[in-house]
Order: sequence, then structure tokens, then C-alpha cells
Amino acid sequence: MPNGKAKDRFLKPLVADYEELLGRFQQTESVRFEEFTAIWRNMGFSSVFYGSLAGNEMREFCHLTLTMAFNYFLPPYSFQIRVGGLYLLYGLYHTQLASPKEKIRIALKDWEQIQKFYQDSVNSQHYDAVYIIRKLIAENAVLYTAMPQMLTFRVKKKPQHHKVCEEFRDRPERVKDLISTDMLQEVANIQGHHERLKASVLERSSIAVTQQDLPARLHSCVLEFLHWQDRHENHGDADHLVYAEEKAQQVESSNRAQLLASIKTKSYGCLAEASRSRRHRQVEMDTSISGTGYIKQAPKYHKSRAPSLKARTNKNLCGEGQSPGFRCKVNNSLFDFEAVDPYNDTVRAVVELIRVVHNVNEWHGTQLLLPEQKEGSCVVR
Amino acid sequence: MAAGSSSNVNENIPVFEYKDINTKPFHVGSFRTAWLEKLKPIDYSYEDKYEENEDADFAKEMGIAPETLDELKAICRQRKKKQDYKGTLRIDKISRVDHYQDELESLAVGKRPEDPVDLVPEGEIILSINVLYPAIFERFRYVRPHMTLQMLGSHSLVDLRDAICCISDLQVFGEFSNTPDMAPDFISKDHFKSAFFYFEGVFYNDMRHPECQDMSETTIDWAKTRDFPTFHKAKMEDTRFYDLKVKVGYPYLFCHQGDCEHVVIITDIRLAHKDDCLDRKLYPLLTHKHRVMTRKCAVCHVYIGRWLTTNDPFAPNDPCLFCERCFRMLHYDKKGNKLGQFLAYPYVDPGAFN
Repeated sequence: MPNGKAKDRFLKPLVADYEELLGRFQQTESVRFEEFTAIWRNMGFSSVFYGSLAGNEMREFCHLTLTMAFNYFLPPYSFQIRVGGLYLLYGLYHTQLASPKEKIRIALKDWEQIQKFYQDSVNSQHYDAVYIIRKLIAENAVLYTAMPQMLTFRVKKKPQHHKVCEEFRDRPERVKDLISTDMLQEVANIQGHHERLKASVLERSSIAVTQQDLPARLHSCVLEFLHWQDRHENHGDADHLVYAEEKAQQVESSNRAQLLASIKTKSYGCLAEASRSRRHRQVEMDTSISGTGYIKQAPKYHKSRAPSLKARTNKNLCGEGQSPGFRCKVNNSLFDFEAVDPYNDTVRAVVELIRVVHNVNEWHGTQLLLPEQKEGSCVVR
Repeated sequence: MAAGSSSNVNENIPVFEYKDINTKPFHVGSFRTAWLEKLKPIDYSYEDKYEENEDADFAKEMGIAPETLDELKAICRQRKKKQDYKGTLRIDKISRVDHYQDELESLAVGKRPEDPVDLVPEGEIILSINVLYPAIFERFRYVRPHMTLQMLGSHSLVDLRDAICCISDLQVFGEFSNTPDMAPDFISKDHFKSAFFYFEGVFYNDMRHPECQDMSETTIDWAKTRDFPTFHKAKMEDTRFYDLKVKVGYPYLFCHQGDCEHVVIITDIRLAHKDDCLDRKLYPLLTHKHRVMTRKCAVCHVYIGRWLTTNDPFAPNDPCLFCERCFRMLHYDKKGNKLGQFLAYPYVDPGAFN
């Protein structure tokens, strides 16, 4: 097999292409199929299948495209991205060049999610998404399987997990899931029941074990949180720009954030759909608030970042008394080995070693500075 | 959502035990019923659904006007690009090796039986099973030579056993230099018929013939003395795939000929589809088989070696491989008398099943 298997070769570029396409789709802030096809034709996405592939590789490649695309159809992605994933699957299934056509594999464990998605689409009257799901099933494009991929117990090869693209992620609904309307209802019922029992047992209820207005307070807490989420996301773009200068990898997403902020300020797309998190307030809600394609920047700052290389080196070399003879300071890319005890034989030996190693040019582009003042110390930069 | 086993009330839904490696054990028959419950029969049937009926149903269900439906159809249709031929047409010629490489896979796709009785029923489970060659060599580091079989859920384990071709079944043991014509009567397959499968703590023995022994006895007794959970026994011929409780993607064992062990992995379980081979007679279906190099005669390098000789003064090396003709010509005279002292064993080439 020249150059390794299709999966290894094409995985990263394919995922990059998908994320490009879905990113553009996200920016249109709509879930209409026309928008998607416009982007598809613009990018000429059907050409992903062109190119000469040996023998059976075309079939493998088509299988790979469908499997990768299917990941975007499932949670934790936002509704808009999931719709985009569905359209992507539809497009790929029909433009693929393997014959007979490679099918879309749906595992039993994902069927619930898909049904929920279908119901959501029906309820929000996104008829194009609904029509496409039904069409795919009617065309026999689906294989109903136990697992999304064929498993051959390849333990040695590191299995490549699908990395969830953070920008497409749905807003975390944990608070809403915890305190749902059903739960509030039940709490209110229990509260009422408790009050009645208490009243029937005691004439004067001076003992107040529970808070009287618990359900109302829970409800207001949840609403406050949702408000905060909204506000934070709308402002998040502005705050975000401050942090963006420092981190190189944030630059790209900040550009997108700027773009999105500008789009939002200009005009809002008229989405008929209320986002899932807002469904319980759909009646009063103004459709001027845009849909679900939010860029989730805020949690990035709450996540604790892994310690930087500098910190780790410091910890490794200087911490915990591991090297009693040395003190090491790391300034940017300089390693300052300072011998605390220059008359220690071991320390001297190590310094010699550093000199020797440096002479052997193991550290390319490094300079060895030997300050005269402190014997037995050197700086490698 | 990766290993969400704790939230799954229904344990017939297969979930990953180790992500992307294998699943937890589940019962195949219940898995099938779980899928069939969730789907409408029309979803997995083999017929083509007529478009107009589908669209009409859709419109009725959703309660939308016919104009909207037409609009939908217009938007969602697949547009074919105008292809300009002649100038840009490239014909990729696939080399013969590649073409035949996976020809096995495409050989049986879409086949329909002549007799409708032999049609694979809708909603039938198809399993893909990898049976690995007994790999004891170091050179099998990057490639795991295997054969892939597709089986129906209603087949029993004996069907799988019969479909596995292993050369150790064909081997003839014994020294035959004095009686070279009697060799083919003693194939191991006929002598040693015992075999067993091991799935999830149960040994399935082949008890069809009276001379089959229960090979798993030894292992079960040994395990009792050690700190192992107790193993169970069952009959291979009574167990269908629907009755099995297995993990997908997890290696199991098939042992025959006493010590020839094969690793068996069930790679995929799914419902039957219109494009599969729908002829029952063709199952178990071989979809992939690794080819093994055949070793040729040391003399002519043309024919496949049939005889192995040791202690042979006529042979250049010890042991030495000969094809039938060279062997006879070199070691026996015209009347069939043995010339010289040597030991000869019938040899079965590993590539006999290519």
C-alpha cells in the first residue's frame, strides 16, 4: 500500500475541510438547505472525491468521509451544526463515486439522539431537515448497525478519537437539565404538601424548616443564569479581544468573533426557530435574538490551562530538591544553571558535562556563556 | 457520551467498553429485536420506496401545503454538474493486482437468489467475522492475515466451523517413504474432528460425530483449580448466532486439531440491506482472504511442493521440498522401488487455499 492507509492520510485534511464548511455554515446563522448548498457549490466540495485512488481505496475513502461526517450529526454539537452535519451527509452520500454506494452507518446507541433531533426539527418546522432525513432513510442509504465503525481490536494503533470542535459546541445546558420545569413542578407540589401537613399537625407554624418560596427562587436562579449566559456571550466578543493578543492560537477565533459581532450588530437573520434552550420561553421571545450558532469562548478562560513549558521545566529541574547541587532558573529560553556549591565534585562534573555536550553541538543554536565570576556555573541559551 | 453505560437502562444496546476498541457483551438476538422495535418495517425493507407515495405521506404527516412540498423537493434535489467529456475525461486504469485485491468483496454484492425461498428475510442480522490465521511468526507484526466471513444470524456455530479453512485440517501425518501411494487416505480433518469455540466464558464444543471429544474439559478442570470464574459448556450445533452473548471487536478463540488455535473477532453486526448478497445458499460468504506465498519444488521451481524429505542423500539440503513428479523421479525407479534410505512426509502448502 503506497504511503500508508487511506484513513491515516486523509483524516486530518478531511476534518479540516469539514470544519471549514461547517464554520461557513455557522456564519450564515441559518439552517436552510439553500444556504448550505450555496456554500457547498462555492467550495466545490464534490471535488473531494476526485483524484486517482488505487483499486479499492475509493470505497475506503467514501466510507471514511461518511464516518467522519456523521460525528457532526450527534451531540455535543449545537443544533445548527447538527443540521449542517445532516446536510453534509446528504451531500456526500449522493456525490460519492463508489459504486454501489457506500452507506451511512447508524448505531443503535445513537438512534435516540437522532429521534430527538428529528422531533426538534419537526416542532420547529424545519421542513427541509425533516425531508432530508426521511429521504435518506427511504433511499436505503442507512445501515443499522451495532457500532458506528467496524472494530478489529487494533489495540496497538492509537485509536484516533474525534476531537470535538469547540466552536461548534452547543451551550452547556447543565443548569437547565438539572432544574427542569418538571422538577420545579414537583418541588412546588412537595412544598405545598409539606405546608399542608405542617398546618394540620401544628396550629401555629412557628417552625420553618424549609424556605417558603423555594420553587420561585430556583426558577429565578435559572433565569438569571440564562440571562447571564446570553449577556456573557454577547459581551464575550469584546472581552475576548483583550486576551486574543497574548495567545497566538486564539487569533483565528477572535477574527471570527469580530466578524460575528459585526454581523450581529448589522442585522439579524430572521430565524423562525427558537433555540433549544429557549424553547420554554418561546411565546414571549423576540425573534431578533439570533439562533444557536454561538461561538463558545467564555468557558475557555474558566478552564485551567495546563502549566506552560517554562513552569514545567522549573518544576522538574528546580522543584522538590531533586538536584541539590543546582539551582535552575528558566527565563524565556535561557536555562541558568547556577551551581550552588561550586566546590562539589559532582557539580563540577556536571558543568564539565554541559560543556562537553555543548561542544558536541547537541543543542543547536545555543550559546554557552561562562561568566567568570561564579565558577562552576554556566548559562546555556 | 463515550462509555455512557451507567445511563443505559437497556443493556441490549451495545456500548463501548473501551472506546473504539470493543463493546460490552450483549445478546445478539435481543439487539436485533431492539432495532426492529425502533424502526418501521418499511425502513429496512428491500423494496424501493416509490417517491410519490413517500412525498404524499410526508405532506400529510407534516400538514404542509403542496406548494411547500414542491419547493422542498426543488431545493433538495441533487443537481448534476454538466460534465464536459472528451477534453477532460480521464480513464484510470486500475492495475490487475488492485482490481483483484478485493474482488471477493464485490463478487457477491447485490446477488439475488433464483428461488425466493432462499431469500434472506428482511430484518435478518448479518455478522462479519474475522478469523485470523494461527500466527506464531515474528513476521506477522504489521499484517494480521485473516479471512473475513459474513454470516447470517440464523446460522449456527457449526456453519462457521465448516466455513473456516485451515491447512492444518489437510495435513497428513506419518512417514510414507515406503508407501508413497497411500498418503491421501489419512487427512487430519477426518481423523480429528473435535473443535470448540470460546465466547464469553462459554465453550461451545462440536459434538456432531461420535468420535468428537470434549476438548474443553481440560481447560475447565484446570481453571477450577485456579482462581478463575467458572466456565460453562454448550454444544456448537445447538447454538445459533442469535443465542450468543458476545462483545463486538473482542478476540475469541477457535481451537481444532487439538492445538491449532485461531483468534476469532466479530467485527460488525448489522441488519441486512438491499445491496447485500441476499442468497441464503451463498452464506457463509467469504469477503476477504489473505494470500499466503506458496513454496515450490526445490528441483523444478514450477510445481508446488508435495513431499518433504529428511535424511535424504539425494537432496541438496535437509529438509527438502519436492513436487510429486520430481519426488518420484528422484527417489523411485520405474517399478516403484524405493532407492536409497530417506524419510518422506507429505507436505501441505500453506497457500493451498489461495
